[in-house]
Amino acid sequence: MSNFREAQNQAHPNKTNTLMLALIMILILNVSIQVWLLYTALNNALEKNTDIAFPSFIASSILFLIGFGWLYFLPSGPRVTK
Amino acid sequence: MATDKKDNHWKEDFPVYQLESTQVSRRDFAKFLCLVSGGLAVGSGYVAIKANFFPPDKIVGEHFVCKKHELPVGGTRSFVINGSTIPYILIRMENDEFRAYEQKCTHLSCAVFYKPGSGKIECPCHNGLFDAFTGEVLAGPPPRPLPRLTVVIKGEEVYVKDFKPDNDKPDPNRQSRS
Ligand code: FES
Repeated sequence: MSNFREAQNQAHPNKTNTLMLALIMILILNVSIQVWLLYTALNNALEKNTDIAFPSFIASSILFLIGFGWLYFLPSGPRVTK
Repeated sequence: MATDKKDNHWKEDFPVYQLESTQVSRRDFAKFLCLVSGGLAVGSGYVAIKANFFPPDKIVGEHFVCKKHELPVGGTRSFVINGSTIPYILIRMENDEFRAYEQKCTHLSCAVFYKPGSGKIECPCHNGLFDAFTGEVLAGPPPRPLPRLTVVIKGEEVYVKDFKPDNDKPDPNRQSRS
């Protein structure tokens, strides 16, 4: 039976290239948002506004989980049959 | 094809076909980005926990710094408070008021100094300027005002204690900055 992974591995290189590009763009976007969140949380915490620290931590974790789950769609390249 | 029992995982990084090899580094890059993202999330968690459960120690009580006559008008004196290593400066302003601040610039922790006669505290590293009356940032890269201590004068002796904004009476002699 063929699954998602096999189907993707047989896809045309143009398709996997586009997918790879989209993946990396989203990951870069996530990371930039996280950098901004961390920067803001830290600056506010040092200014004794601690209220923003937890929401930004939660947002940052969600972004990480999105990015992590997103890796499932990473084209794995042809599988070596062992 | 692997014929022996060894771990042949490295072969994925050196594929036979050129087309496949173009994907190796991008795949690693994507995984690395994910790692960075995890690191940032952990960092945010650290900031959140530190800020909410382990706030920096407050200064308790009043601490003697020096006698009033030891500091000339326009002069500064650096001091530390017992039990902490944070450097502070005590400034005797031109209008004979005293101010005390942390000596660490809020940008990258360089030592700041008072520019006599100007009412400004300067950071030599990247030319950050702070208002010597309030600690506010006037110019340059520092993101936050200088942390401040309240100065208490008892006769001839100068003490400092934890800063509370409400005992900061507006100063009638203060010229407005322009
Ligand atoms: S360290 Fe003070 S301005 Fe950069």
